[in-house]
Amino acid sequence: MATEFHNLQELRHSPSLVTKVFIQRDYSEGTVCRFQTKFPSELDNRIERTLLEETVKTLNSYYAEAEKIGGQSYLEGCLACATAYIIFLCMETRYEKVLRKISGFIQEQNEKIYAPRGLLLTDPIERGMRVLEISVFEDRGSGGSSPSSTMSSGSSAR
Amino acid sequence: MVFMNILMCVFVFRCPWLAVTICPAVPPCCAVLFLFVLANFTMATFMDAGVLPMASEDEDKDDEFRAPLYKNVNVKGVQVRMKWCASCHFYRPPRCSHCSICDHCVEDFDHHCPWVNNCIGRRNYRYFFLFLLSLTFHMIGVFTFGLIYILHHMDELWKLHCTVTLVVISISGLFLIPVLGLTGFHLYLVSRGRTTNEQVTGKFQGGVNPFTRGCCNNLEHLVCSPISPKYTARPCRKAVIHIQPPFLRPEIDRQMPVKVRGNGIQSLQNKVSVKLSDIKQPKTPPPLPPKPDHGLLKSQVALLKTSDQQGSNKGPDLHSESKGSPVRCSQQASLPVQPSLQTSTVSSSLQLNSLPLNSRSLTLKHTSRSGSKSQLPAMHADNLESSPLPGILSSSSLLANHNTSSSSISYDNLIPADPQVMAQRGAAPVSYPHHFMTLGTDGNLQRSHPRTYSPVFMGISRQSPHLRDLIPPDMTPPLSAAARYDNFSKAIMASIQERRELEERERMLRRPARTQVLFGPDMGIYDIPSRRSLPPDNIRPPGSRGPTPPAYGSREFLMSTGVLGYNIRTSPLSSSSTSSLTHGPKTSSSPLQNSSSSLQSRGRSSSPAYYPPERPAPGFPSSTSTLPRFSSSSTSSAPLYASYANTKRSSLPYSGEGKDSVTLGALK
Repeated sequence: MATEFHNLQELRHSPSLVTKVFIQRDYSEGTVCRFQTKFPSELDNRIERTLLEETVKTLNSYYAEAEKIGGQSYLEGCLACATAYIIFLCMETRYEKVLRKISGFIQEQNEKIYAPRGLLLTDPIERGMRVLEISVFEDRGSGGSSPSSTMSSGSSAR
Repeated sequence: MVFMNILMCVFVFRCPWLAVTICPAVPPCCAVLFLFVLANFTMATFMDAGVLPMASEDEDKDDEFRAPLYKNVNVKGVQVRMKWCASCHFYRPPRCSHCSICDHCVEDFDHHCPWVNNCIGRRNYRYFFLFLLSLTFHMIGVFTFGLIYILHHMDELWKLHCTVTLVVISISGLFLIPVLGLTGFHLYLVSRGRTTNEQVTGKFQGGVNPFTRGCCNNLEHLVCSPISPKYTARPCRKAVIHIQPPFLRPEIDRQMPVKVRGNGIQSLQNKVSVKLSDIKQPKTPPPLPPKPDHGLLKSQVALLKTSDQQGSNKGPDLHSESKGSPVRCSQQASLPVQPSLQTSTVSSSLQLNSLPLNSRSLTLKHTSRSGSKSQLPAMHADNLESSPLPGILSSSSLLANHNTSSSSISYDNLIPADPQVMAQRGAAPVSYPHHFMTLGTDGNLQRSHPRTYSPVFMGISRQSPHLRDLIPPDMTPPLSAAARYDNFSKAIMASIQERRELEERERMLRRPARTQVLFGPDMGIYDIPSRRSLPPDNIRPPGSRGPTPPAYGSREFLMSTGVLGYNIRTSPLSSSSTSSLTHGPKTSSSPLQNSSSSLQSRGRSSSPAYYPPERPAPGFPSSTSTLPRFSSSSTSSAPLYASYANTKRSSLPYSGEGKDSVTLGALK
């Protein structure tokens, strides 16, 4: 993961990563992609329950939309077959499109809701859709001599 | 596959005859079919099967030593076991399996196909299946038409063209049998909704398969479902998000009802107002910040004003609701309130960092209606553009920092998240959890609440030293009082963590072997591992994971308490792997050097000379098994461990397999 180092002025005030909270997948419906909406207790005093639940629910709905079998997925399949799958070189699949939407959504949530609270959501796709990772930051005050850094979301895949 | 090509080429020569004799459509159909076979084969061969990337280090820090080997999860009413993958460092999702040939976990793992030399998993099972199907048809076609050709040329059987055709049909007929068999097998699997892996291991033999959707739906899913995305090697989009303190904190007092106006702005039904009479209600026009009642933070005010002017375009909505917030300056120590005053009007970045008062102090004052928490930030989010301004402080959060009506403001506000504390709310001078002591000495605090506090000494002592930095020497007394509020929040976190640790300790206590080790002479060790362990925060071994708290309850710590701990620990682990014991050392096939560096990096920085010995011997050749190895080596490794008490271990005695001596030599 790429982290960025800032100049000394910012170093003094940049937060440090305290812990990471992981929201696991909810497998009660099978292998469809869903995340648990259970609120992790570690975030009790960091963010309101409803906010996080809202985020997770929206994410789940996005994933459900991506994995939905319907007209568009049929069309995609048929087209792919007909063109001997060459179409995949040119076109982006529906799932990928929804993933881009999701990543935009997460970015927006981070900027508006989570970053002001010292939290950072990581796109689940970077973790293989196994967990939703929430990085928890804590302010180190003005004493930061350690290399604290601000996290960049959407950092390079490992 | 080359074979097929050759056959096909040969077959092509017969096409003209076939076109003439049987039907002109024969060659094109065959060609299309052949193309289809090729395409599916290519996709099955080159497509990522759904490889799950390895978990990052910080993801597994909790799971690694204290977690059981199996985790049960309920899938549609059926209990499915998720196994810990030692190579990939996570619990394998249902239907996921680790391919030892490719050495990665594959989602919906079917099998590793030698013909295509690739794993068949979630993403490419469809292509594999279609390849099989189309190949079957193709071979049937070749065989049939070849036979027809032969039968029509029976008299010329020994001529070259017939002989070649004969060869072709015999080969295709020969290969048709296993291919047909495989196709039939996969058809059966699809109809039952199983993977090859599940069929072969007999997972759902007797029981119910929760993953099947019925034969038709299974087929539909097979062919028509959207293609899963690739998890590895994704294009990265660098989007930088600045996280700057002060941070917002949620309100926790749920006593207040919330009235939400149409535009989402909360009106504050604050019953507090009675108590807050000493703070006048500023009826300031929205853009102007309310005058602070305490002159302590004039600099902040100035800062606010400038920043407020910048952010004034965002101001109106925020301010309209924030008009109440400065009001709610409690009779508490003035300082904690000040940030709320200031920040309530700021929507742009505000550098409050110069003061130790950060948003953590904001946690301490809340009226909080629970509903408002969600509404306000949401509203706030709407109002803010997604600007890259750091430290966006929403006034909504500061609205959150209203004080409750009763004189029990303070305590509720001060210890927001501690349920135990909340339970004790009504009491008089309460004995709170040991690390929350009363601040009896601070007059400023006293004036607002009946309960007394003493400084959170225990909490502080356990906390990382930077916390002490938060108590600024140059601050006036009210500030220092507020600084102690910072400690409260730290202590809150500490208490939460401690409770977690307690629970985990209890969990571990249930494991019989551990009891002796856990109650060591120094109970303090087990208190707040997250805080205690980081004396020099800046001193970290290179490549360390960063300031993640070490797992003091972890096995490594137990081992550090002595050889005895190790020996005791090994015994339960020697038992069968199916019991839900801690999964053994994480095996990895990385070479010795890598594992030693990884050990160091993972090794909790404060843990004295004992580095996690469980990091398995790098000599393990692409091994994915965990417990069995461990158990086999445990006995031999115990005495070895004793000699290693004070050395860094990179590869422990878990080398098993006769590699103990090697590792011994390497380490020495």
